[in-house]
Amino acid sequence: MTTETPTVHAPMTARRRWRFGDVALQGIAGLAAVGLAALMVLLVYEVVDQAHLSLSEFGLGFLNSSVWNTVHDEYGAADLIFGTLVTAVVALLIAVPIAIAIGLFLSELAPRALRTPVGTMVELLAAIPSVVLGLWGILVLGPFLNEHIEPFMIAHLGFIPFLDGYPSPVGLLPACLVLTLMVVPIVASISRELFSSVPSDLKQGAMALGATRWEMVRGVAMPQVSGGLVAAVMLGFGRAIGEAIAVAQVIGGSLTRPPNIYAPADTMASRLAAQYVGTATSLQKASLAYLAVILLVISLLTNVAAQVIVRRMQRRMGHG
Amino acid sequence: MSLAVAAVAAASACGSSGSTTTVTQKAANGGGDKSVLVGAGSTFVAPLVSQWEADYVKSPAAVTITYGAIGSGGGIDQITARTVDFGASDAPLSSDQAAACKGCIQIPWSLGAVAITYNVKGVPNKLHLTGPVLADMFMGKISSWNDPAIAKLNPGVNLPDTHITPVYRSDGSGTSFAFTDWLTKVSPDFANSVGTSTQPPFPTGTGAEHSSGVVAAVQATDGALTYVDLAYVQANGLNYALLQNAAGNYPEPGTKSVLAASTVGTTNPDGSISLVNPPASAPDAYPDATFTYVIVPQSSPKASTLKAFLEYAVGPKGQAFGPDLGYPKLPSSIVASDQALINKIGS
Amino acid sequence: MEAIATAAALLAAAVLAIVLFTLTKRALPAINTDLFTQNAAPFGQTGGGIKNAIVGTIIITGIATAIALPAGVLLAIFNTEFAPRRLADLISLTLNVLSGVPTIVIGVFIFGLVVVGRGQSAYAGALGLSIVMLPLVARATEEVLRLVPSHLREGGMALGATRARTVITVILPTAVGGVVTATILAVARAAGETAPLLFTTSIFVGTTVNTDPSQAMASIPMVIFTSSEQPDPHAQQQAWAAALVLVVIVLVGSIAGRLLSLRTRRQIEQVR
Repeated sequence: MTTETPTVHAPMTARRRWRFGDVALQGIAGLAAVGLAALMVLLVYEVVDQAHLSLSEFGLGFLNSSVWNTVHDEYGAADLIFGTLVTAVVALLIAVPIAIAIGLFLSELAPRALRTPVGTMVELLAAIPSVVLGLWGILVLGPFLNEHIEPFMIAHLGFIPFLDGYPSPVGLLPACLVLTLMVVPIVASISRELFSSVPSDLKQGAMALGATRWEMVRGVAMPQVSGGLVAAVMLGFGRAIGEAIAVAQVIGGSLTRPPNIYAPADTMASRLAAQYVGTATSLQKASLAYLAVILLVISLLTNVAAQVIVRRMQRRMGHG
Repeated sequence: MSLAVAAVAAASACGSSGSTTTVTQKAANGGGDKSVLVGAGSTFVAPLVSQWEADYVKSPAAVTITYGAIGSGGGIDQITARTVDFGASDAPLSSDQAAACKGCIQIPWSLGAVAITYNVKGVPNKLHLTGPVLADMFMGKISSWNDPAIAKLNPGVNLPDTHITPVYRSDGSGTSFAFTDWLTKVSPDFANSVGTSTQPPFPTGTGAEHSSGVVAAVQATDGALTYVDLAYVQANGLNYALLQNAAGNYPEPGTKSVLAASTVGTTNPDGSISLVNPPASAPDAYPDATFTYVIVPQSSPKASTLKAFLEYAVGPKGQAFGPDLGYPKLPSSIVASDQALINKIGS
Repeated sequence: MEAIATAAALLAAAVLAIVLFTLTKRALPAINTDLFTQNAAPFGQTGGGIKNAIVGTIIITGIATAIALPAGVLLAIFNTEFAPRRLADLISLTLNVLSGVPTIVIGVFIFGLVVVGRGQSAYAGALGLSIVMLPLVARATEEVLRLVPSHLREGGMALGATRARTVITVILPTAVGGVVTATILAVARAAGETAPLLFTTSIFVGTTVNTDPSQAMASIPMVIFTSSEQPDPHAQQQAWAAALVLVVIVLVGSIAGRLLSLRTRRQIEQVR
């Protein structure tokens, strides 16, 4: 047995350990960033992969076709796109003015004492899980609309083609209203931030020149924040088209285009939620995944666009 | 109530002692734990399976059955992917599904009536309806309850002019299959425009998920009707229609009329038996009855546990729970052929 | 104009009040010890509770937090300490876009990735929830990290400490309140999500407690979703009760998160 003089290594000093730690931390943190990128890529890839049978079978014609037939194994998203757009647009039409008014209220008009409680209430509305809103929609809102509001609307507004029909506790109308409840807090909190961020010297300058509060808002604040409001509306739109659970609960899962606003209908997200587990054929499952692809594309586009607008606004206002 | 508590206590004990072994020997189908059998599928048979769940865990075998009532379509999906130990479907496997399932055996383990339930103010229980009239109602061709076609079948009944809202299953449903199977056979119009499927393309009405969902939708809407397993109608005390069979009679939906239909069923090449639209030679047969199947892989790591459970289910002990819920006991000839199928399960 | 804005705000407050009021009124008859100590009753039987769903939600959300919290904090550290400005912007953009992806699409993603071929599991559901939580944790942590005054960082470096040492021994401890807040808010949000669970851990809203995450598990949102479609008024009442429990959890979490966030901010300001 030979004895060798053991080689002596310089002991790991605390400093060296921490320098190693520096690299390690940067490495792990960088890994997280890479992981995020990988997650996004994987997300798009996986969803498209689930859909590829339908993508290759129907191509873009899928968007134009109203067929959804498991007996003939033929599918198309047109009726669903219709339902999605109608519910989202109606929800936005109701929600956006209310939300902007709330944003104004919270940033400009409310006495200080009221701002926190009302602001908290708006945020609490945002925090209510969608399944709870859907439950309330099925068991409270739907029957109420069916018994009181829809007959009234049919009687008095029935001359308008889309507003004439038979009352129903499930359908487009409850879905629109439930989506409105979800969109209002999103747009309201962004509006509030936007209005608060208008430089006060601009606001006070206008008032000093004799403008009323409303004129100041209309002439000074609104133009400043209009870009941001557009972004907020886009985010609200993205939320509305993507909501699956609450809509599935109240929209009545119909397989055909609704003849009026009271009739049962369906949206892309709620069809996906209702049918994805337990499809009759694999082409049907792929077609449902195709709906997910459409939702993904729309949400990516609206979100990126909204972010770009926000960045541009921040840069303009000197935050960048 | 104490039954449920006892079942639950026993089940939780089984569940928690099983969890350690399951984590270490996880297989692709419901875990490797032999004291748990996991199944999913038909809501039609769910009331009966629920009784089996509570009872079987108390047997000497002490096996916990966990069943997810997600619809026949979901059950077929899950067993094909081998993510459960057994699937349940009222619709027999199509040839494509059978091929995808790779060596699955389909065993009829119960049978029952597809009942028509409705909620119309002013319309009493046990309304008379026929297949062709129902087909027209579900196609939107008959749109109010006081339509002459319905009035003709129910002389003396004061029918309101309420709008008809057909409610159908929006998920993959064996009950939909059994219902459309019958309508396709009695209405050429329906066969052309809708056809037979677990997710038929109904042109009008409201869709809802699961048997419970369609019943809830009907109860919420005046003028609505739907097709659902008799057990749900009985459990909720709902109105049901009397359906005309080929002999021209209107038999009560229940064990007697379903059994009468089962004696004249037609066997399909794949071994499944269709009970809908029984011929006039069976005057008391219910026109829209269906077998419901358990679908198991021919080779399963839990073969012995599975076989024991299936023998319990199709045997006298399991079948005893049926009649109270509206499922007649399996005819002995079916039990015999079932046993032959069960014997095929191996590991 | 004031009148319109005030009316709008009052309308929102009124709707919230109506929703919470009906929720509480319909749920109260079903709130008893049974709700929390019993599992779901078998078909046709009354009684039962949501014990298995509560346990399931705790386990699933717990696993999701264990995934999202370290990942989110690391992302925030990367963005504030290591990333050049452009890259940090890009990462923030990606996180914002991720938070805008419909949760049902995330459900399809996780289904294809993890459930196909393997079966549903609480792990799969937790993975879906962690994707929902990640942007929330990362963005909120980044905000707090940026609040930490630069003189702390510079002081550390001046004393010869490396980046890592400064972050771990100085900055993180200062920001820990903010991280806790972010986590509470993310958990409150995730506990209420249904869509990521719909395809991943939904089969068994069963009658037994399952503690094995490699199997599908009941959860409160799924119980509400399935019970909401039931015709039986008793089952509907259980849905209301479960909804009330969920709303209480979510609201308490949100309020606690916000109060904590204010306190953390104040604490950090004091360090300046």
